Amino acid sequence: MTALATPPVQTATPRARGGAGRRRAASFAIAGVLGVFVIAAIIAFITLDFSGVGFQKSIVSAQRFFARMVPLDFSDPGELVWLTLLTLAIVICGTVVAGILSVPVAYWAARNTSPHPSLQWVGRAITVLARSFPELILIIILATMFSLGSLPGILAIGLHSIGMVGKLFADAIEQIDEGPRTAIRAAGGTKFQQFASGILPQVTPSWIATILHRNDINLRASAILGYVGMPGLGYELSASIQRLDYKRAMAIALILFLLCVAMEIISMVIRKMVLRSGHTASAKPSVWERSRGAVMGWTALVVVVVSTFIAQPAWGDFLTIWTVLPERIASFFPLSTGDYTWAQALKMLWDTISIALAGTLIGVVLSSIIGSLAAENVAVSRAARSWARLGLLAVRGIPELILAIVLILVTGLGGSAAALALGIGTVGMLGKLLADSIEEVDPGPERALKAVGASRPQVYFSSTLPQASPAFIGHIFYALDANVRAATVLAVVGAGGVGQAMFNAAQLSQYNVVATFTLLVIGVVLIIEGIAVFLRKLLSY
Amino acid sequence: MANAHAVEIGGLTKLYGGTRALDGVSLTVEEGEIVVLLGLSGSGKSTLLRHINQLDLPTEGSVRVLGEDVATLRGKGLRSLRSRVGVVFQQFELVGSLSVLENVLTGSLARLRGPRLGTWMYPRELRTTALGHLERVGLAGREHQRADTLSGGQQQRVAIARALMQSPEILLADEPVASLDPESSQQVMDLIREIGRERGLTVICSLHQIELAMSWGDRLVGLRAGKVVLDTPTSGIDKASVMKIYSAVAPAASLESELEALQHASVGSIRAAAS
Repeated sequence: MTALATPPVQTATPRARGGAGRRRAASFAIAGVLGVFVIAAIIAFITLDFSGVGFQKSIVSAQRFFARMVPLDFSDPGELVWLTLLTLAIVICGTVVAGILSVPVAYWAARNTSPHPSLQWVGRAITVLARSFPELILIIILATMFSLGSLPGILAIGLHSIGMVGKLFADAIEQIDEGPRTAIRAAGGTKFQQFASGILPQVTPSWIATILHRNDINLRASAILGYVGMPGLGYELSASIQRLDYKRAMAIALILFLLCVAMEIISMVIRKMVLRSGHTASAKPSVWERSRGAVMGWTALVVVVVSTFIAQPAWGDFLTIWTVLPERIASFFPLSTGDYTWAQALKMLWDTISIALAGTLIGVVLSSIIGSLAAENVAVSRAARSWARLGLLAVRGIPELILAIVLILVTGLGGSAAALALGIGTVGMLGKLLADSIEEVDPGPERALKAVGASRPQVYFSSTLPQASPAFIGHIFYALDANVRAATVLAVVGAGGVGQAMFNAAQLSQYNVVATFTLLVIGVVLIIEGIAVFLRKLLSY
Repeated sequence: MANAHAVEIGGLTKLYGGTRALDGVSLTVEEGEIVVLLGLSGSGKSTLLRHINQLDLPTEGSVRVLGEDVATLRGKGLRSLRSRVGVVFQQFELVGSLSVLENVLTGSLARLRGPRLGTWMYPRELRTTALGHLERVGLAGREHQRADTLSGGQQQRVAIARALMQSPEILLADEPVASLDPESSQQVMDLIREIGRERGLTVICSLHQIELAMSWGDRLVGLRAGKVVLDTPTSGIDKASVMKIYSAVAPAASLESELEALQHASVGSIRAAAS
């Protein structure tokens, strides 16, 4: 009740001076950058030639395809169960590797914990590079260093996932309340004690949530990693398709899909439990409330140990790898485009980018509608929201690879089918992210406009959308750079582009060519991320 | 309806779960009156205000505003009533990332069809009007700035300009200065009263500081635990008698702390006036 005695709300910044001109320049720049991307995406969309996805032709080939795929072949159920467990085990081990390694990386990368500015830079660089390095390329390279088995897969998943897990973890550390940590420092705690007691308790829930989220992504990616030899359902899927045994292939695809959806639901439930555990604490906690943390911790440990037993990584490889490592690294040089000219190489790069751009365009258009309807402050009714959320969940569960395989087989096309697959895949992820960021906007201004007498669409465009748009743009660029990597990788099922050249080179053991193309893809991803950072900065004016 | 009261509330009760936020409140406000709702947080001031433009629906009782039965209004009718009632919120509720001008313009949305994004989508004459309102609240020249780069007092004045955009007949203000420093508080309170007088608006403003309340309005309505415990013209009333009425209705147990809180708030505002 002493509101008047509290310090005044003074948010005026030096930026306010002469802000108008700078603001206008910033909005022109934003419009310019977005305009270039929209035009490029439209050009990509047109050049990919979706006319081939003709209705009649597709119907015919779809009929032919479905005739060859039913009845689904679920024979040898024991084998299927084993493959399912193995897939899960490898994915979980990989995610755990990333979860553990991301702690030191994030500790370095976060502004408020980094021991030294140069280490902060190193930490951030690790997350960016790991994120932009397609895991498929990682596994191809790792497979040449390790003996066959689950270890290359686990490491590929683990190293690539550090990018996302480490970044989100570092961001979470930067957003903590500094108070508890200062208190421990004031009480004479060491740096390590400050981190363990002042910071970790605040960020553990978001760390666990991120790891669970990443695990879902990795499970979907396992389909594609199987194509290059990682054991499990993905490998069986690729083998069946090569045998043209669509009955078996689609049976496995169905299992993978259900597995992904089930995993998504399980991790959603656990995430809710972890993130909300603080709110249910009562004066007299029940037995379950008191022991919940311990139960979840032990369960997680058991799951990890069992996964390790099932996956059986060849640990011994870590002893022998050092002898071949220098030679392997040497084989990446000198950089060369191999049998392709640079013009051809750049053309293939553009093909890949255009698949990604077109896919993102399809995804953005669909998901901005579905995502908005899935947000509770925009949805027409609770039921409509639930249906939209459920739809997004189901779409998210489909591994892009399976979508691409089905679409490529149905349409008989490469690039445009891949773009369509990416577009649909994007809806699942982007739609959810958009819905979440719409739900996170400050409801106050919405209420104010409701009080003004504005209609629902008016409230949406004048209050909800402007508040959510920085997050919107961030998510769209996130989708775009994920799609560039995915478009590269979809070459394994015939999407063409730069990925095709990589696989050809890998099969001929021309690792310097693989390295060159990988660097090109990483370059594109980094440029996109750079533009996203630049836009975020502009949006703050 | 001819000769209708601006606001006519009868036996209004509102339950949130088991909590009685409002308990049989009756209140009639005439056109052009400037009324202060006085009470501590949790006394039901905000809830009462929220019923006047149907941001909340009554559990029991009736709410008539500008001759309309508010609880029965839906869709277009409701939006049209809301457009006649301007609201100033405690937390300003501006869209921080939009310009000052666009925030003011959103006050005219009820008069326009379809969504708008960007000041250029509003008719030119509305933009001129908005600039006029900005000048009236003393923020001429700030129109292109991002709303969240303004100080709290300036943001609240933008919010007042937004309410003026509606050409309201009633102006509701819910603790409009609770988040402001003393100096801006005084400016904002003065501005609301001046504008109310200029335009002959019916103003209902909730406050928790006795001092401020007594010097500001024509009429003082005191709320306590969801009930009206005081309804008096401010002329000729002094702080002691207000305190006495509060003490007469408060149960002995909670009396002490509550009076202390009211006193404390008053001391705060005295300190504010002094500084």
